Amino acid sequence: MGEDLGVRLGRRTVLAGLAFDWSGPGIVAVTGPNGAGKTTLLKVIAALLRPGRGAVRWEDGGRALAGRDARARIGFAAPELGLWEDLSGLENLAFLARARGRAWGAGDGQRWLERVGLQGRGDERVQAYSSGMKQRLKLACALAGGPRLVLLDEPGSNLDAEGRGMTEALVGEAARETLVVVATNDATEAGWGTSCLELGGVAGR
Amino acid sequence: MSTWTAARAVFAKDVTTELRSRYALSATAVFALASLAVVSYAVGPFGGRPELLAAFLWTVLLYAASAGLAQAFLREVERRTWLTLRLVASPGAILLGKGAVNLVLLLATEALVVPLFLALFGASFRSLPGFVAVLLLASVGLSAAITIVSALLAQARAHGALVSALAFPLVVPVLMAAVAGTRRALVEPGVAPPELKVLAAYAGVVIGMGIVLAEHVLDD
Repeated sequence: MGEDLGVRLGRRTVLAGLAFDWSGPGIVAVTGPNGAGKTTLLKVIAALLRPGRGAVRWEDGGRALAGRDARARIGFAAPELGLWEDLSGLENLAFLARARGRAWGAGDGQRWLERVGLQGRGDERVQAYSSGMKQRLKLACALAGGPRLVLLDEPGSNLDAEGRGMTEALVGEAARETLVVVATNDATEAGWGTSCLELGGVAGR
Repeated sequence: MSTWTAARAVFAKDVTTELRSRYALSATAVFALASLAVVSYAVGPFGGRPELLAAFLWTVLLYAASAGLAQAFLREVERRTWLTLRLVASPGAILLGKGAVNLVLLLATEALVVPLFLALFGASFRSLPGFVAVLLLASVGLSAAITIVSALLAQARAHGALVSALAFPLVVPVLMAAVAGTRRALVEPGVAPPELKVLAAYAGVVIGMGIVLAEHVLDD
């Protein structure tokens, strides 16, 4: 739940008086023109950016969570969230799970790489990946480990048609158990949403 | 989630990336070797001046540490992995993991610098155990202080210059005690120079300060 959220970046007001109350499972599409604050909103929800005013409140299983506890339950893929290029795809997945204290076996990494179409490429360093392969790996990192909230910023960016189809299938599957928030300018991705928040305009569905 | 588990993961990740890129180790070692070579060529052995030897050794180690250790957080920002790291690890775990990596890097640099320093300047210690104790404790304090300042300035412009400038007042006590302890180990036999108490207290205070302030240093 977000209450009266306001964020200024430098001299520019990015979000003002924003309120929402979402619950999962399901998909929320966040839309709006460039600069409307979609990425900023996702960073505020993930407790990676503190709003100038208002607050985001979290509940999981009826229990209120503080920002850092909430952060530990979030899977987040965004252009601003890079991966470690000196590590392999498998090492990135393993590090992100272990840093969160999750049990992680070698089979888990292989399984997730297969799901995003990177089978056989897991031992290569990420610096050798194409932009599309990096995006696939980011999706795997965001969805692996059973997050309670998934935040996806432009999930189809750099992906080919097959990759976008795979992303839709993975998002649909995740949304059966958890809340998935998709920030996008793409009409197809916006159509995945069972509800929609339009920034820089009037709230939609 | 255990802070120690996450700190171990951050440590293992940073050691792996450092072994592959050798970014910090190269910066640290190149500075240390270049300054040792230049001064030994210009001045020659000054084995009879223990206070100069001690001061020179710690000057080299301080600036070598600043050159390499200060990069720990800056590289995460430059490579756009900073937000990812903050998403998955608590501030305390990040600070602990990176502090441990910086300590290992500093010890690796010292393993290279100290034997060369002894050879080039014709120095020898009357109390080798005393010097090793000074070196270890001072390294803990120095790496912890530089890690905290580096974390504070992670997203600042002119990060490298600022870390050196702002870390300097913070590391003066550890440097003075390390120089005094090293000088004593060069000229006096004995296992435990009295400066060890100062170095241990300094390391404890700086690490404690880092743990207490981690949330404020890294969480915004």
